[in-house]
Formats: sequence, C-alpha cells, structure tokens
Amino acid sequence: MIRQIAVKEVLENLLSLRFTLSLLLTVSLFAVCGYVFVNGYREQLQDYWKRTNENLSALGGQSDALYKVAFHKQGIYRKPQPLAVCAEGDEKSLPNFFAVNAFTADLPRIKGQANFALPHFSSLDWVLIVSLILSFAAMVFTYDGICGEREAGTLRMVLANTIPRHEVLLGKYLGAMVTLMIPLIAGMLVSLIIVALSKDVSLAPAAWSRILAIGFLSLLYLSIFVLSGLFVSSRTGHSPNAMAILLLVWVVFVILLPSLCRIVFEISYKEPSPAELDRRLEEVTKQLWDNHEKFGKNAGSMSGNLSDPMNNPPARARLQNAIVDARNDITDDYHSKLLAQAFGHRDFARLSPVVMYQRAAETFAGTGINRCANLYKQVKGYGLNLKEFVRSEDSKDPQSLHLIGPEHEMARSWRAISHNPVSFDAIPKFQERDFTVAESLRLAVWDVGLLALLNVALFGAAFVSFLRYDVR
Amino acid sequence: MVWKIAAKEFLLNLMTFKFAVGAVACAVLTVVFMPILAADYRQRLETYSSEMTRNETELRQTKAYRNLRPTVYRPPAMLSAFSGGIEKQLVGAARIELDTVPELSLTERQGNPYLPVFSVFDESLIFKIVISVLALLVAYDVISGEKEQGTLKLMLSGATARHQVLMGKLLAGIATLSVPVVITFVIALVILLHSPTVALGGAEWARIGLMFLASLMFTLVMYQLGFLFSCLAKRSAVSMVLGLFAWIIFAVVVPNACVHLATQIQPLESQEQKEGLIASLQNALADELKAVRVDWASVERYEKSGDDDSFGGWHEKLIDQGWLDAERKSNASEIPIKVRYADRLWDVEHRHLEACFRQRQIANRLSRISPISTYENVMAVLAGTDLTSFQHFISGVRAHRNQVLDYVRLKTDNFSSASFLAGCTEEDAAEFTRLFRREEQAQNEADKAKAKQARETWAQNKRAQAAASLSLQDFPWFRYHPSLVADLQKAMPDLLVLVVTNVVLFGMCFAAFVRYDVR
Repeated sequence: MIRQIAVKEVLENLLSLRFTLSLLLTVSLFAVCGYVFVNGYREQLQDYWKRTNENLSALGGQSDALYKVAFHKQGIYRKPQPLAVCAEGDEKSLPNFFAVNAFTADLPRIKGQANFALPHFSSLDWVLIVSLILSFAAMVFTYDGICGEREAGTLRMVLANTIPRHEVLLGKYLGAMVTLMIPLIAGMLVSLIIVALSKDVSLAPAAWSRILAIGFLSLLYLSIFVLSGLFVSSRTGHSPNAMAILLLVWVVFVILLPSLCRIVFEISYKEPSPAELDRRLEEVTKQLWDNHEKFGKNAGSMSGNLSDPMNNPPARARLQNAIVDARNDITDDYHSKLLAQAFGHRDFARLSPVVMYQRAAETFAGTGINRCANLYKQVKGYGLNLKEFVRSEDSKDPQSLHLIGPEHEMARSWRAISHNPVSFDAIPKFQERDFTVAESLRLAVWDVGLLALLNVALFGAAFVSFLRYDVR
Repeated sequence: MVWKIAAKEFLLNLMTFKFAVGAVACAVLTVVFMPILAADYRQRLETYSSEMTRNETELRQTKAYRNLRPTVYRPPAMLSAFSGGIEKQLVGAARIELDTVPELSLTERQGNPYLPVFSVFDESLIFKIVISVLALLVAYDVISGEKEQGTLKLMLSGATARHQVLMGKLLAGIATLSVPVVITFVIALVILLHSPTVALGGAEWARIGLMFLASLMFTLVMYQLGFLFSCLAKRSAVSMVLGLFAWIIFAVVVPNACVHLATQIQPLESQEQKEGLIASLQNALADELKAVRVDWASVERYEKSGDDDSFGGWHEKLIDQGWLDAERKSNASEIPIKVRYADRLWDVEHRHLEACFRQRQIANRLSRISPISTYENVMAVLAGTDLTSFQHFISGVRAHRNQVLDYVRLKTDNFSSASFLAGCTEEDAAEFTRLFRREEQAQNEADKAKAKQARETWAQNKRAQAAASLSLQDFPWFRYHPSLVADLQKAMPDLLVLVVTNVVLFGMCFAAFVRYDVR
C-alpha cells in the first residue's frame, strides 16, 4: 500500500506547477554551476601549474649546492579540486599559499584574493543549490501533504479504508522524496555531463564514490525538510498556515542562523592576535639567547671568522636550531589556536542543518578547512623530509662541518652544510595527498550522524502528530 | 467604497495566522538581532577610538616633521546595524607617509584566515527575507482566494467597480504590512537608543526616515508582486507557488548570478600584473635615487649614528652642521622624487581598487532586476556602508595626504629646514659643530677633556630642552564626514527603481485584474 500511495503522490506531484518550476530552476542552476565551474577550474589549474612549475624551477636553480636547497623557501599553492563542483567549501577565502624550507614552515597565507569589494557569496556549487533551492522546494512539496488533503476531504476517505496511518505517512514521505530526487539527480547528471565533457577536468575513479556519498548526503538533508513539512502539515488545519510556519522555519534555519552564529561568535570569542604571536616569538628568542651558554661555550658568539677562538660552531648551530624549533612550536600553537577558533565557530553554527550538510559535503569533496589544515600539516611534514634529505646528503660530503642549522651565513661561508651539487631528481618534491574516502567518512561522521538523528527525530514527531491528527 | 473594502481587508488580514506568525517573527528577530548588532557596533567603535587615541599620542610625540606619519581611520557607521553593506569587508585604515604611497589596509582581510566569510548580517535582512515573504503570503490569495471562495463574484455583481476593489485591496495590503515594518523599526530604534555608544543626530534621523520609506516601498513592491500572481492564477495554490519561486529567484539566484556575471563582464587585471608594475616603478625609483644619492662617506660630520637610530630616531637626533647640510642636500634631491613616485604608485594601487569597485558597481546595477537587491543597495547607501562611501573615504585619504604634504612643506620650508630632519634648530647644529671643533682644536689632553665635557653637557641640556615635541596646533587632522545630501543623491537611482517598479506593477495588476475571469 505504501508503494501505491507513494506512486500516486509522485504522479500527482509530477503534474503540478511546483514540480515544473523546481525542475526548471534546479536543472538550469546545476547546468550553470557545471559551466561556471569548468571555466573557473581551467583557469585555476593553469595558474596552479604555472606557479608550481615556477616553484620547481626555482628549486632546480638551487640544486648546485645542497645548502641552498635547504634554505630555499618554496612556495606551495593549493591545487584546485575537481570535486569543488559539488562543494567548493569556501576555498576562495581560505589560505592557498604555504612557504616552507628545511627548517621552518610559514603560517598559511591567502594570495591573489578575489575582489574584496564583491559581496561574499558562497560559490555556485551543488551544495548551494541543494541547501537553498531544493530545501525550499522540499517544503513547497510537502506543506499541504496532510492538511491540504484534509481540506480537500480526501484524507478521511483514505483513512476510512483499512490503511494504517503510518503507511499513509510513509507513502507521502517516499512520494515527496522520489519527486525531489528527480530534479536532484537530473541536475547532478547535467552538471556531471558538462564537467565530464570538458577536457580539463578529470575525475578519478574514487571521485565517483565521493559523488555518490554527496548525493546520499543531499537526500539525507532534503529529507529533513520533507519531514518538517509533513510534521508541520500534520500539526495545522490549513495549508496556508503550514506554509507560513514552514517559511519561517526555513528562513531562520537556512538563512538567519548561520549568520547569527557568526556574529555572536565574533563578539564573544577573543581572536588570537598576530601581535601576541610576535611578542611570544620575541620572548622565546630572547630567553634562549640569554641562556646561550646552555648550548655550549660561546654558543652565542656571532663572529664571522671561523678560526676565531671565540667561535664554537657546533654550539652555535645547536642554539640556532633550538631557537628555530622553539619559534616553530609557538607558530604551531598559534596556528592550532586559529584552527580551533574556526572549528569552534563551525561547531557553534551546527545549530543549523545547512551547516552540517555543507561541512559533511565539503569533507567528502576534499575541500574546505579540513583540507587546508591537512595540507599545512603535509607541508610541515615535507619540510622535515627535506631536512632529513639534506642531512643524509650532507653526511656524504667529507668537507662539510655537518652542522645542519638554520643560520644561512654559517652554511654559506663555513660550509656548515655541504656545498656539493645535488641531483634535482633526488630532491624530495611536495606532493599533496588527499584524504582517503575512509578518512573523509571519519571526519564527516558527526555531521552525517546529526543529520540522521534529526531525520529520526522529525520522523517521530511527524508520526506522532499524524497519529493524533483529526482528519475530519 | 474603497475605504470600506480596505478596512474590511485590513481587519481580515490582521486576524490571519500568517500575519500573526510574520509579525511576531519580525518582532522576535529584531529583539534578538538588535542587541547583538549594537554590541558589535560598540566593539568596533571602541577599537576605532583606541586606534585613534594611540595614533594621536604617537603623532604628538613626534619631534621631526620627517617622522610625521598619521594613520587615518574610517569610523564605523552608526547605522550599520540597519544595513551592514560592505563595511566589514573593508578594514578602513590608511597610513599617510610623505614619500611612500599611503599604505591602504582597506582591502586586507585581517584576522583568522580560516574563519569563513559569511554574508552580511543586519536588520535589513529581516526586511529582505521575512517581510518580503510575508508580503507575498498576504497577497497570494487576495484575488484567487476570493475567487475560489466565490466571494469575488458576489462583490463584483454589485455596483462596486473593479478599480475600487483593486485600490481597496492594495490599501489594505500596505496598511497590513506597515504594521510589522513599524514594529520592527520601533523596536530596533528603542534598542539602539538604549545602547550607550549610539547618539543619533539630525542627519541620522533623516537617514532612518528615508530607510523607513524605502522599506515601505520595497514591501509594497513585494505585495504587488504577490497581487499580480494572484490576478494571473485561477487557484490560490498556484499563485503561492509562483510567488515563492519568484521570491527565491530574487533573493538567492539573482544576487549570486549578478556577482558571477560582473566578474565575467569586467575581469580584474591579475595580481602579478599589478605587482610587476609596482616592482618596475620601484626599480625606476631606486635608479633615480641612486643618481642623486649623497656620498655619506665624504661628508664631514662629527656625530655618528647610534642606538637611537631605529624607528625614525635617526631624524630626531641632535646633529652637527656637516650632517645637517648633507641631509638637506639629500632631502632636496630625494624627497621630490619620492613624492612623485609615491603618486605614481598610488595611481597603480588606485587603478586596482577602482577596478574592484567597478566590478561591484556592475554587480549592483545588474542586480537591480531583483527588488530585494535594489532595496539592499538603497539601505547600504543610506546607512553609509556601501561602496561609494568607501570611495569617498579613499578620495578623502588622498586629499588628506596632500594636505599633510603641504603642511609639512610649509612648516619646513620645502623640506629643507632643520626641523624636518633633526631634533634641533640650525643654530643648535652650528653650536654643536663649534663645540666639536673646539674639542678637535684643543692643544692638550686637559683642554680636550674640558671641551668634551662642555660639549656633552651642552648636548645633554639641549636634548632635555628638545624633549618637547612638534607643535601640531594647526595640523590638518583627518575628519571623515559622510554627507547626507551626497548619499541621498547616490540612493536616488535605486529609490527611483523602487518607485518605478511600484508604478509598473500597479499598472500590471490593474490590467490583470480588469481582465480577470471572476466566475
């Protein structure tokens, strides 16, 4: 019976004006999204390769001496993700540039920002279309699901038969979901066809499972609105009243709440300030300098003459390494505070299902904050690898003092690090490793779990309301 | 008859559930929004005041005109609670230096780069989103609903003319919707006035009055849109769906699409191109400076640089005649070149800014097809948080830079007097030199020590006397005054668009209703 009700609902919906409008709007937006993405992606990718090649050739230019490789600050850019078409994850406003050498990695920066004067809209991606347009359509499909039938008098006829109420409710729920799946899947297909037809975007086999996951997630998200629609519809007697309540709920949860959370968080949370970072860096440097004797006699001597008896190069290198390590630790701490603030803000904004959906989708698409944080971690790891490489190459040079330290002058004029040329191919190059599907799943599990929980709660609420609904 | 219909409709509307939900939502949202927005404004104002004080204190401690580097700040707009515009996207501070381009930290997004940038959050959001939906909900069944109930044909079977019904319903609609508009404004104002940092002057009240008018006009546009759909559809369910889809297109699709279109129509020059231009100008500057550089090694001077040279201390020292003359020569040749290049660099920066602003302007103009965006633009202009107010600020910064330049030029005799580059007068420098010479020419050690002692005592006294900083009595302090008349002029096109949309929609409603089949 559930099937019959669902089929009837679907057929009825298919013939309605709201379905035509939703289908037209959604599919055209998905098409535009695909087109805009393909164009933008091509440019971004060209830009990315240009900069990456520049970086590599600059690194190649340093390979005539090992110490130069160690000190050369490499500029690593964030690679555009092909799945950004699904969820761009606000990447436009996230850090995209990471500078690193064998000793230190700078804080991530934003380079070549887009026009600051334009309003900050999220990029047109699947998540935007689903979270704003299709969620709206979900409400429009269900606001009169129960009370509309009561007004028309058909509900009592249906229930006068032997059909139990839960079957009616399930039938209506499935009917609405199937109706919504049509524009969703059609739109996704159109968008994917546009993306697949372009020569610039190549989707890896693993990407398809991610796309499927995002599709499933979108259904989970839309189901919340369908269930809210049925719930409100079975709490009210008139369909216009149901619409009024649903619109309010939609506006509050989808539009107002994310912005409200942001401003409340801004007022209440004290940002870790760059001045504070500078002060701490200065403090720790001074402290280590003041106690330089701890690293060996005359560790703090800055004489430029190697044969100066006041010089103690090994101690000096130990001191310099200790300073850089301490500074790196403080920078790391500052960076984790920045991340904690951003994650705190996102956790706070989780009050809105849109935020849960966006977060989970961007995790599956491999974009967003998690990706940036992961990238920075990898960049730092790369710095350590490079240092190890320098150490192992340096040990082969009998002329070197084998003092791997961050003082450029020592390395340059005293050969503290080998001056021998290295093969460019042997130098480790940075290669970003994306999250695996399992890692993405682990990161998104809370959001997906919360969305599922919300679904269950709303279904329970709708079910109880409908059981108690006066169909007369 | 019109009044009777209007009164009946108004009372009916007031008793509907949707109206109650909408009006309560507006009131509750304003009660939640306004204190947060007021606290946000207070926080920004405090930051602004502390920055201003710090800057002024720093300036007042300056001892040489060469070190006069004021930073100017744009105060947060008092009415930003009503419309945030782009105020938070732009930081709004500029450092004025004599020989370098004003360092505009206008465009740098400061703070945590991981924090997502959300769309603006302000009071006009309630109008843009909640009241516009409410207007559509009130209007969607005005005609089609009455037709479904059969009351429309009863009404029109009497002597009542169609235009009377139309006018009555329109009047009732605007009367109904002005209730939440008034409630929202009153609550917002009460909360704002209770905030200790907000002191509304005449100009602000005028702006708020205009905002209120614009809000009413916008609500009327949305109501008439719903009315039109109601006249076009036979069933109220259809008119509601049409209205809601029109709303989602106007509220979400159009603003987004316009931004994308604007970036396509007017692409920005690449960052590298700009940086390349700046680098080539800086290279040219370095070349020109090299050609006129004073050879310091050959300058005969007694006092050498020391510990207090950092952070501009160089220019606040007690110096001798040889040094003074050399500095003067160097300044006379270098400063005009630097000023010239600063202007050229500023032009490059400015071109980039202008291109960014142009893109935004195009987006704004395109978005006028959506009444929601038009309304948003009007509110931002009236609140003084829109793009043009920043352009105004930037041109103010440039004018101020010229004023400071002229001021210093006048005070220092075209950058040549001692007070420009040293912490002493010309006589002091001459005296200082004389004391050095005496020490140099001393015949024996005892005389030399005595002369040295005399010089050091003199210098110490001089330094103590010179502790007084520059008198900045007639310094042209930067004051940013948003002008109501100018803002009104800028708001005019968008206000006109709202008026014209209302007139056109009225015409369309009239035509649709006259042809409506009431059976």
